[in-house]
Amino acid sequence: MSRSNTSHSEAAHVDIAADRVAKVYAQAILEAGDAATCTDAVLGELAMLAQDVLPKVPEAAIAFASPKVPADQKAALIDKLGKGRLTPTTVNALHVLAQHGRLGILSLVVAAAERLADERAGRQQAIFTTAIALGADEQARIVADVEKALSARLKPAFVVDPAIIGGLVVRVGDTIYDQSVVTSLTRLGGRLHQRNIQAIQTGEYSWHS
Amino acid sequence: MAQLTDEIASVLREEISRFKSGIDVREVGRVLEVGDGIARVWGLSGVMSGEMVEFPGGITGLAFNLEENSVGVIILGDYLKVTEGDEVKSTGRLLSVPVGDAVIGRVLDPLGNPLDGKGPVVTDLRRPVETLAPGVAERSPVREPLQTGIKAVDAMTPIGRGQRELIIGDRKTGKTAIGIDAIINQKNSGVKCFYVAVGQKDSSVAVAIDTLRKYGAMDYTTVIVSGASTAAPLQYIAPYSGTAMAEHFMYNGQHALIVYDDLSKQATAYRQLSLLMRRPPGREAYPGDVFYAHSRLLERSAKLSKELGGGSLTSLPIIETLEGEVSAYIPTNVISITDGQIYLQPDLFFAGQRPAMNAGISVSRVGGAAQTKAMKKVAGGLRLDLASFRELEAFAQLGTDLDAATQQRLDRGYRMVELLKQGQYAPMDTVDQVLSIYAGTRGHLDDVKREEVADWEKGFLTFVRDQVPELRARIDSSKELDAESERQLEAAIAEFKRQRAAKGGEARHLAGAR
Repeated sequence: MSRSNTSHSEAAHVDIAADRVAKVYAQAILEAGDAATCTDAVLGELAMLAQDVLPKVPEAAIAFASPKVPADQKAALIDKLGKGRLTPTTVNALHVLAQHGRLGILSLVVAAAERLADERAGRQQAIFTTAIALGADEQARIVADVEKALSARLKPAFVVDPAIIGGLVVRVGDTIYDQSVVTSLTRLGGRLHQRNIQAIQTGEYSWHS
Repeated sequence: MAQLTDEIASVLREEISRFKSGIDVREVGRVLEVGDGIARVWGLSGVMSGEMVEFPGGITGLAFNLEENSVGVIILGDYLKVTEGDEVKSTGRLLSVPVGDAVIGRVLDPLGNPLDGKGPVVTDLRRPVETLAPGVAERSPVREPLQTGIKAVDAMTPIGRGQRELIIGDRKTGKTAIGIDAIINQKNSGVKCFYVAVGQKDSSVAVAIDTLRKYGAMDYTTVIVSGASTAAPLQYIAPYSGTAMAEHFMYNGQHALIVYDDLSKQATAYRQLSLLMRRPPGREAYPGDVFYAHSRLLERSAKLSKELGGGSLTSLPIIETLEGEVSAYIPTNVISITDGQIYLQPDLFFAGQRPAMNAGISVSRVGGAAQTKAMKKVAGGLRLDLASFRELEAFAQLGTDLDAATQQRLDRGYRMVELLKQGQYAPMDTVDQVLSIYAGTRGHLDDVKREEVADWEKGFLTFVRDQVPELRARIDSSKELDAESERQLEAAIAEFKRQRAAKGGEARHLAGAR
């Protein structure tokens, strides 16, 4: 559920240069998918590879990323892996990545491709954070409300974080709509603080009388 | 005590009842890397260049570089408290500083926070640090003089209100002294003064502040300090925030004077930031827009038109040269931006001529328009005479046989040089300057020994003050030296010389008798 969330919390470790390269491959893969009218299938397969298969077989991930493994061996591995199971476009994409020694950033390419696909479809990634877990119908209702308020299509993800005490925090892109109890309390605290400083400065308080 | 508790409780209740918990909308990013006063931020996709951003703990930053995938932020505050992964909030506001009467007499950092331990700066008035300079239609020509109280400057390179006059010279040639003297001389002129110390040793700044306080100048002066130990971003913005504070007075029809001490250090800080941000280095590794950094700063000094209140902001930027190298990058830039320069030379300084101003290459492009009529009359041609005297002096050292006319010019020159010497923190009244320079340029000092010139001048000014006050009053009120004043002045000089000779004869007589 919270894949996009992990990508956000991992943002602190983003390698900007690699991300930029990944974006280029992602666009190429999407366009190739469009040409062969199998974009969704390609995206799904690549995501499955990057997020489900490779973490389970770390040796394969290492072999993919390592420049020590010759390109033709990687190609053979990809052929073996893809034969009959994956669409030809996916296999080709993997081949291209292997040839250029970019298989190591496969997960970045997938993430970039998903972002691009969302952008094209007019969808925005949204993370809903609540203090307690929500039921499916509540989730649907909140998403519909927020979509209406922002007049945008959302790709929702839900996170539970008791630290916000109550309320709801929605993150769409880089913008956060925060109506959590903890933020309200912080703001109230800040206001009281300011108010008192002001009162002391203007001599409104008669502390010594 | 119970009363106090009630009071606090009522304030709390009132605040809470008024509190509306609206939705807090903010745009955020995350710190990827941080160091040396800058941070690279992931996210903040809608942030604008120059927008203020906020790090946790209330530390502010400025969006400096907008790149494809990240935002380069300069951190205005303690960057050691910002860590990787911190959330950064955009604020949608520009950086601003407190302005107005509340900042007068204070010592502040470039963000307007007090450094003098005199409590917070209480004011609602704020002004953005970076603003556009007034346009052509909003200005009027520089006409009013801004008296620095330094004879050499006021006579040869007059500074007008709204002018930018560069003070340039090697280290230890008295650059800061001219700025401080100019501030001290504004005591009764109503001009608000701002001293921006960038990249200076904190000990030097403490001395400057102490001097200003000692001469009563802190009553109308604000000191903005960003010392050598502060991070480069603060040193970079210090001149802009000082200007913002000074501009407030300009736009309210008042007059202000700002001394940037010094802009070479600011350029160095800006170079550091730019290189850390990986902007391409240019000449002397300065970024390509270092000229713009200085020109947009100095263009904000102006004399406003009558419709806008006629206020003015005069600036005295200081540039430090290395080994007299004025053709280095930053000095040439700032020379070309300003309306003239006062060039201070180490050899003159060590020869005892202080202020060590080189008359030949110091200029003021506003010129006589920024002088009173009286001063213009007595000092016209003085600068060129002095410059040609310097040439002649070098030439005269080669041979001993000089014709009478040349010898006479040399003698006059030596006395003028003596006359233009002036002590530090001893600004001189305009009328006094006119009287002294008149005596010098009209040859009344030619028969005074070189080492007695200073003494003669002092005696003469006291004489005029005590015995012919009406002459002083006349020049002071009309700001002019008409035929009648000139006649009175000639008579006063003759009378003073007679009295002095008599006194001298008496002294000699007494010495002989003993």
